[in-house]
Amino acid sequence: MYKRSHAWSFLAPAGLLLLVFSIIPAFAALFLSFTKYDVINPVEWVGLANYKALMSNSLFWQAMSNTVYYWILVTPALVVLPVFLAVLVNRGLAGVKVFRLIYYFPTLVSVVVTAFLWSWMFQSDGVLNYILSLLGAEPLKWLTNKHMVLPSLALVTVWQGLGYYMLFYLSGLQSVPEDLYEAADLDGAGFWRKQMVITFPMLRPVIFFVAVVSTMGAFKEFTLMMNMTKGGPLNASTTVVYLVFDEAFTKLHMGGASAMSFVLFLAIMLLTVINKRYLDRE
Amino acid sequence: MKKSKSMIVLLLTCMMLVMAACSSGGGDAAKSETSTEIKFWTISLSPTFDDYINGMVDTFEKDNPGVKVKWEDIPIDAVEQKTLTSSASGNLADVVNLNTEFLKKLASLGALANMDELAADVKGDFYEGVWTAGEYKGSTYALPWYLANDVVLYNKDLLKKAGFDTPPTTVDEAWEMTKVIKEKTGAYGYSLTTIRDELLYSGIPILNEDFTKAAFNVPQAVEIFAKYKERNKEGLIPEEILLDQAKPQEWYAQEKLAWWQTGPNLFRQVNDLAPAVYEKSDATSSFAYSTGQIPVNTMNIAVSEKSKNKDAAVKFAKFVTNAENQLQLSKLSSVLPSAKKAAEDTFFAAGKDSTDPVEKGRYLAVNQLEKSMDLLPPVENLADINRAINDEFKRMLSDDLDPADAVAAAEDAVNKLLQ
Repeated sequence: MYKRSHAWSFLAPAGLLLLVFSIIPAFAALFLSFTKYDVINPVEWVGLANYKALMSNSLFWQAMSNTVYYWILVTPALVVLPVFLAVLVNRGLAGVKVFRLIYYFPTLVSVVVTAFLWSWMFQSDGVLNYILSLLGAEPLKWLTNKHMVLPSLALVTVWQGLGYYMLFYLSGLQSVPEDLYEAADLDGAGFWRKQMVITFPMLRPVIFFVAVVSTMGAFKEFTLMMNMTKGGPLNASTTVVYLVFDEAFTKLHMGGASAMSFVLFLAIMLLTVINKRYLDRE
Repeated sequence: MKKSKSMIVLLLTCMMLVMAACSSGGGDAAKSETSTEIKFWTISLSPTFDDYINGMVDTFEKDNPGVKVKWEDIPIDAVEQKTLTSSASGNLADVVNLNTEFLKKLASLGALANMDELAADVKGDFYEGVWTAGEYKGSTYALPWYLANDVVLYNKDLLKKAGFDTPPTTVDEAWEMTKVIKEKTGAYGYSLTTIRDELLYSGIPILNEDFTKAAFNVPQAVEIFAKYKERNKEGLIPEEILLDQAKPQEWYAQEKLAWWQTGPNLFRQVNDLAPAVYEKSDATSSFAYSTGQIPVNTMNIAVSEKSKNKDAAVKFAKFVTNAENQLQLSKLSSVLPSAKKAAEDTFFAAGKDSTDPVEKGRYLAVNQLEKSMDLLPPVENLADINRAINDEFKRMLSDDLDPADAVAAAEDAVNKLLQ
């Protein structure tokens, strides 16, 4: 027999964790964004000063533009490419399970390990430049050129995320009723026509989910920058979260770092609302 | 109902047990009212130096009845966060091991005790050039502990392939040889990580005398920047190392670098990574800058300003850094002592003819101690200042800018940080 108390007892443990480790710290950070706080000396209320300082902080705007650029590089690729992978591995071909595993494998590797592996591959004398040299091409400055660094890092994120998002699409595909395709066959629809009129519309909720999650992931990316480029060269790969970390834990400007976090929070929320408006329509 | 009552009783009993466990410290304190406990934090010395630290603590406790030292070792990656959060909650250890940059940051926040007032009697025991490591705006906030000054590990094979029998002796000579080594072997010679040290050890101060403005916009600095621009055009500067994307020791171990200028205590890392490369390596003295001064990295021992047992803490800080204890530490590792008397010990002479680069490096390094100078300006935002100068330097290299403009831009950036 269902009782309200049962629901609460199931919700309470996760709710408590969420409250203690996410909601309270988020509100504490919101409060800190209106203060000057260096961890050791008492908190000093400064009103909107941190937000005003942000407006004229060119590094913050560079970090914001880097973050948006990184998002543009990463999210469309992670929304579109895994659909094709999922369609591919959803077919009853021989050995398809091995392919599913191979595509999913990068997701299982920790981001730090991924960062080290790709750092080696991106080195001036690394394997990627070696391959280019075999093709007779000039070596590329994958991580040391300020125009190349974000596309290179985006490549790593896409490589690692493909398999993860493929799984969502795969489960979405498997819930598409087979008779829709059969009816389309009877109507003489080809492969692409079927994908356009059946697969993509039926996958719309999954597309929305992937768009939102990969957007949040792109806006919060930090580990790759921390381990591969330290935000460089010349801040070309400094994302907002990397800057928040630097501001908070290197410079001890907790107030300024909290203000940055909240501007980022608003940006992510805005994009989520836009995503919802355009992708989650019935 | 009965069930829920017994649950409440059980819960209360558990809470009481937890509270009792948490308050056991108070019980101990009540038991021995006369005992004083001081907390001592070190950076990444455990487990290798457990016996050494525990032995030192035992001796101190025996010599100072009633004082208990509680030692805790903190991994290097966690030390800044742990120190900061503990300072915020008033739980910073009484005696704490800090690197020079972070020490100045904490001193600027008022978290450390003034050692000019508390330990002036031991100032003469230390090398003058490293005593300054603990300075912040005219006062000293730490005693120097162990240190490492620069010596050079070089690959004899690579040098031979390039046609050299001996390693370079000056910075300029090292760059000249780099050109030949790069051409003949493909390896780099010099691995530049920061331009700041080149400025400092060429006699160009970063800040003015009262540390309120940048002071490095001088023709000599422009000349240094211009030289590097030229070297970069010739492909002699390993970009990944300059951009902190690769570690010099790893590149040295892969024979992509002909030499690595660092403290002899770090040479072992090459042996761990590539014993065969270590085997064909030798040590030589630091490349000479125009002033003859040698860069040095110092580990410091500070006392918390909020320590409730400051006298005991200062006494322990002096004990840890005294010549006898420092000599013992040097014998167990390859770090150097900051106490003059310890460095005079015959132990260091043993490495003179050694074929092991670590032992030889230690001998060479100890002989450089008189010339080893901590020249970092005593201000809190050292790391930001270093980054500002380096950023403009890197911008000059990548965007092919005028060296004079780059130095001026760096000066502007540093002045903004000092406002």
